[in-house]
Amino acid sequence: MKKGIYRNIALVTTAFAVAVITMMGVSWWQMRKATPLKTEVMETLRQLSDTNADNETLAEQVRELDLLSRKAYFTQESQLKKGGWILCAMAAVIAFSLRMYYKDTKQLPDKDLDPIDEWLTKSRARRYLGWGVGAIVAIGLIVVTMNGVKERKLAEVNRSTGQQVNKLADDSPESEPTTELSSDSLEGDRSTDQQAGRLADQQKSDSLEEKSDSLKVLAPPPLPKLTWNGFRGTGGTGRSAARGLPTSWNLGNGKNILWQTPVPRHGYNSPVIHGRNIFITGADSEKRELYCFDLWTGELLWTAAATGIAGSPTQMPDVSADTGLAASTVATNGKQVCAIFATGDILCTDMEGKRLWAKNLGVPDNHYGFASSPLMYGNTLIIQYDNNDASRLIALSASSGRELWSKSRKDKIAWSSPILAKVGSQQAVIVMGNPAVTAYKVSDGEELWRVECLSGEVGASPCTADGIIYAASEYATCVAIRAADGETLWEAGDCLPECSSPVATKDKLYVATSYGAVCAYDAATGEVVKQHELTTPFYSSPVIADGKVWIFSNSGKCYIFSAGKDFRLITSFDTGEQTFATPAFSDSMMVVRSDKSLYAIKKK
Amino acid sequence: MPEFSFAATILPAVARFPKPDFTSGYQYPTIVHSVPWETFWSWVDIGLLVVMMSLMAWAVHRRRSRGVVVGVSIVSVLYFGFFRTGCVCSVGSIQNVVLALTDSGYRLPITVLLIFLLPLVFALFFGRVFCAGVCPMGALQELVNIRGWRLSRAVSWALGFIPWVYLAFAILYAATRSQFIICRFDPFVGIFRMGGDMGMIIFGVLLLILSVFVGRPFCRFLCPYGVLLGVVSRVARRKVEVTDSKCINCRLCHHACPVDAIRQPNEAKVAERRTTGARRVALYLLLLPLLTVGGGLLLRSQSDTLSMAHRDVWLYAQLTADEQPDVLTAEVEAFHEMGRSMDELEASVQEVKKSYRLWSALAGGLIGFVLGCKLIRLSLKRTRKTYEVDPSACVACGKCFNYCPLKKSTISNT
Repeated sequence: MKKGIYRNIALVTTAFAVAVITMMGVSWWQMRKATPLKTEVMETLRQLSDTNADNETLAEQVRELDLLSRKAYFTQESQLKKGGWILCAMAAVIAFSLRMYYKDTKQLPDKDLDPIDEWLTKSRARRYLGWGVGAIVAIGLIVVTMNGVKERKLAEVNRSTGQQVNKLADDSPESEPTTELSSDSLEGDRSTDQQAGRLADQQKSDSLEEKSDSLKVLAPPPLPKLTWNGFRGTGGTGRSAARGLPTSWNLGNGKNILWQTPVPRHGYNSPVIHGRNIFITGADSEKRELYCFDLWTGELLWTAAATGIAGSPTQMPDVSADTGLAASTVATNGKQVCAIFATGDILCTDMEGKRLWAKNLGVPDNHYGFASSPLMYGNTLIIQYDNNDASRLIALSASSGRELWSKSRKDKIAWSSPILAKVGSQQAVIVMGNPAVTAYKVSDGEELWRVECLSGEVGASPCTADGIIYAASEYATCVAIRAADGETLWEAGDCLPECSSPVATKDKLYVATSYGAVCAYDAATGEVVKQHELTTPFYSSPVIADGKVWIFSNSGKCYIFSAGKDFRLITSFDTGEQTFATPAFSDSMMVVRSDKSLYAIKKK
Repeated sequence: MPEFSFAATILPAVARFPKPDFTSGYQYPTIVHSVPWETFWSWVDIGLLVVMMSLMAWAVHRRRSRGVVVGVSIVSVLYFGFFRTGCVCSVGSIQNVVLALTDSGYRLPITVLLIFLLPLVFALFFGRVFCAGVCPMGALQELVNIRGWRLSRAVSWALGFIPWVYLAFAILYAATRSQFIICRFDPFVGIFRMGGDMGMIIFGVLLLILSVFVGRPFCRFLCPYGVLLGVVSRVARRKVEVTDSKCINCRLCHHACPVDAIRQPNEAKVAERRTTGARRVALYLLLLPLLTVGGGLLLRSQSDTLSMAHRDVWLYAQLTADEQPDVLTAEVEAFHEMGRSMDELEASVQEVKKSYRLWSALAGGLIGFVLGCKLIRLSLKRTRKTYEVDPSACVACGKCFNYCPLKKSTISNT
């Protein structure tokens, strides 16, 4: 009878324990990823409260709901803990009851599982041990061998693919890229994306064909479709439709490095890509040169020297060490490539390096050195020539060097570079200076609007997305201006760049500062939605490609952020070489200029 | 590794509950962390450890009382388990000792050293009295053990190799400053703390359910400290005995033992020729150095893979991976935010890998050596006339005492 009671207690307690475990399991599952403060009601109330800052009732409601959510969560957590203790008590009751139930039940001798003779048992144990260890070692070796074989195969495939690519590169005829990206920011992005989609499809089918017909005659070489025609890309948007870029590389062991080559002469200008050509400039007290490198091999294809230009100074102007004589990035339209130096010399060549024309605009009166990069729009070469003595915006014919128009500017000296944007239905060039952001008609230089909002030394360049112009400069402001009419939408002063230029998407504006902060502004409100304190200065400008924001610090550390909603840091790593220039992008390739070399990154 | 677990626990909580956005000028109070009175409790632990092991030694060797063992087990589970939350325990202290021996920068607290040494010292005199019920993990399994389902001894002997492998890896990871795997994979600490990794809690509960039917599965087939105590207990001054009277070979104790530590009489009537057995032993003796070196080389060849357990190597692999994860781990984010350089990290990784090459060779060597010794031991024949307690396997739970028909006379004799 007594035993029966213990048995029943054990059974009932077990049933209760199972029920408690089930409830706790459900509760734990609910709590696992619960974010009680991110409910729809809470978000709505927050937004209402944000837009009605003076409404104390709303704020109080948010606080009450916040407190309630916290209370609910922690009460649930506390209950879970209590449940644990109850479960322990139940386990103790079950153990005690069962112990009492079996109290008088002795473990009586039974038939042995093992042979009576211990020697036979030991022999079995030896066998089991041998089999067990042997099996584990064998499985381990098989796994290791298979991994090794897989890696070797992969290496072989990579090697043969590399050879094929090199062969293609050697055999390919020079040809123009099929299309140039539209300079219009929004539409340009769309067309770029569509183009990239087509490219991806094309490459996918090419890749499939290559796989199936690897031994057949190789298809014609794919020339890069994407161009990067000037400082921060075509039109100066800072965005590229490049895809499949590697997020890590190593200059030491060559991981994902297609090639690396030294640059003949120093310069802070950024690379420009058109077709198979990469253009950069370099200068010192002896020479000022324009270089063209091969995109696939890094080979220096030609050099054009800015020599014998009428009006060119015999003595180099005084420039600061961190500006140099070749700070301006070249610009190209696929037919001409034009470079400007701190001497005021402009040199334009064709794509083969043959000089078309050269002239001197007058030695700039510039205490750091001329740094603004020219902008190319069709056959128009636009130069923001803001200096101490006079500021001008000059438009030249890229093919002949003839002056198309020139506008005197009221603004003080600046080091900013112009960008292209649509103002209403007109193509405009947007210029940042001190104190104004100004829009000029590309065709004749007519001023379309002018917003005075800046001050100090303006080094960063504007950017645009979705019909909004963004301009930001250290010690001044960050401003969003509607491109259509020049109306200021918002101003902010939280995170301002010195040399690095911002880049924008429809939703966000990304800024890298010289004091190490990298920020994402809400494009609609101007609120800094996320800030990373990276404690390293940035002169290079952030660019958006492959769904990511790419930024190089001066020390050469590459930071890659997601360009999505959360602007989170995906990765960062030291490249080992100081970097001040902004990288350039081709289809699935990035070209970086460091202070020592020029190198191309491509997923291997 | 503890900091990893901490980060993993805290970060989601912070993400769930950021500080409230007070706009009313509310001033956050300064958080004050009181210093725990840890030294005091550490010495209380040492004191209780000595008292409880002494009590166990007395109960097992003088009284042959199962009741005292159960009583001490309950106290141990409540105090060392639930009150002290299972830390520091002698099992995990192996890692602290190894770390102290290999890293001059790590200062081993005297209390931790005592927690490691005292059970071994007691084992040298009285056998595994620590396992009897002073260890909260053993005590918990002991208290829930109701039935005594037996396993094939051949299987038990083979499975007894696992704790040695576990020990070798625990040493490897502690010596290379990678992880305290004994603590990380402690199946009972989650139960004692009412929280922690859900996978380990479930594993602990499953082990406890298994313990209801099978005696002490963790102690026999997993515990790395148990194998050290087992080795020391072989040479114990007083070994556990079911009775000090002459055994009448009734078989009752043999079947009652939950850990299968009582060896039956064996007259070594084997069909195998004596020379064959001798040749086998000789072969294993020759194989012993080969197994030791082979084990060392084998594990050393995998040292790079094993080194992924080190946080720097793992971090480096994450940072240099071609495919970056969508969600950044807390460690990677911390690396970026703290501005640690890749060169520094790479240098650390090289250092860690070098250390792994040495320690994985030693760990592999230990595994190979133990395997050889086990094979030799399993090749030796011993003649036994009566039932005898295997001191290395016996956990001094005292279950056999109540089964021995000679118990009463034994007590009266003493």
